[in-house]
Amino acid sequence: MNTLLKIENLHASVGEKEILRGINLDIRAGEVHAIMGPNGSGKSTLSAVLAGRETFTVTDGSVTYDGRDLLALKPEERAWAGVFLGFQYPVEIPGVSNVNFMKAAVNEQRKQRGLEPLNAAQFLKLMREKMALVEMDSSFSSRGVNVGFSGGEKKRNEIFQMAMLEPRLAILDETDSGLDVDALRIVATGVNQLRRPDNAFIVITHYQRLLDYIVPDVIHVLYKGRIIKTAGKELALEIEQKGYDWIIQESE
Amino acid sequence: MELRLIHHPEGPQRIALEAGTAAEYLVLQDAAGATSATDWEIQLAEGARLQMVFLSLDGDTLRNCLRVSLQGRHASCDLAGLCLADGTQRMDYDIVLMHEVPQCHSTQLFKNIVGGQAVTRFDGLIKVVPDAQQTEAYQANHNLLTTETAKAFTKPQLEIYADDVKCSHGATIGRLNPDELFYLRSRGIPEKEARLLQQLAFCYEVLEKISAAEMREDLRQKIEERLRKMA
Repeated sequence: MNTLLKIENLHASVGEKEILRGINLDIRAGEVHAIMGPNGSGKSTLSAVLAGRETFTVTDGSVTYDGRDLLALKPEERAWAGVFLGFQYPVEIPGVSNVNFMKAAVNEQRKQRGLEPLNAAQFLKLMREKMALVEMDSSFSSRGVNVGFSGGEKKRNEIFQMAMLEPRLAILDETDSGLDVDALRIVATGVNQLRRPDNAFIVITHYQRLLDYIVPDVIHVLYKGRIIKTAGKELALEIEQKGYDWIIQESE
Repeated sequence: MELRLIHHPEGPQRIALEAGTAAEYLVLQDAAGATSATDWEIQLAEGARLQMVFLSLDGDTLRNCLRVSLQGRHASCDLAGLCLADGTQRMDYDIVLMHEVPQCHSTQLFKNIVGGQAVTRFDGLIKVVPDAQQTEAYQANHNLLTTETAKAFTKPQLEIYADDVKCSHGATIGRLNPDELFYLRSRGIPEKEARLLQQLAFCYEVLEKISAAEMREDLRQKIEERLRKMA
């Protein structure tokens, strides 16, 4: 199968501080990759760099997405190309309603792909359908983006947005953090229903728990800005039981 | 309640609400190149309620000078304003709001979006006389600068001579939140549109004060058109 995302020797810094120190990663369509690792290992930085956050400077290496130089694209251009980042800390935007936000996003992406904008009826139907997927109450649509949402509601809103936009590469940055078991199940169900042979997921998580629900093809362990171990899904359980120390020692 | 529209006020304006009456006013200034200085004398008798929104959306030099006097108990005055200034425009609000008797209520919410080399000025004073116990008075002025050369001056002031009151005043001057901007762009909304959404969101709080839904939607569109031209 074709490689959807190819990361080669990726180095990235914040100011003087180097956070990513040579990441290599190949992801093919249809795959789910989990990235685990202790706090401060660079997991969130990797997702932010892939989404185009300007706080980070790429100092070396390359990222090829669907044959294109991903790093040359603006954040919105990455979204048009089918990249989606589920935020660890979704941003509250008072005054912008969820419905207007999603309408602007969906129709802009359609425009960029040469499709007609959805009319009001089509849009509302799509919105209802996707909200049901994450068990979100319809009253959320008129509220400000994430304003007054609980932690779990914010994460469900991320999955809802992902469902609306149908990305080809979704990066979920600790979507499970701060979720109770019910919310976790809802989020995971949403993700599983969106898995297709032509898309791929990068699931960043601290806990094995999420990977009980979203079963990955591959697990990578990130430590000090490098991937120090890559293995199958059984690795998650081993990490849950033994922690990261043994892997870190193995790699040193 | 009927909304009274004052479009391009000319000359001194006087609003006096008699005891127990209520009124809602909308002041709209949206003529490009207009210059005006308007004095507003506003008096509220016992139990009178005034809701007033000023929209200074376009103009060359606009100055509104408000002298508000709450003269009867339980009078309530809610003032809100929005300035959209760019180019070399200048928009000033000068407000003195007097709590002359006990148990009155007032709010002020004034927001400015300042681009180009424009200058806005907010000078607002709440004065609570010694007698005016159990006053509630709140004032806020928030400024959003969209260029390096835009300027906003703000001077929120409180003078309180009574000891049993609830009052606050505050001001901010800032730029668009980069986290919000990135969030919007990451969903595929182009930078220019994302900035526009953020600016509309900034205006929303003032717009919300207008109770007539149809009028509010018309004004929202007017504000959006104006912001697009400012961009």
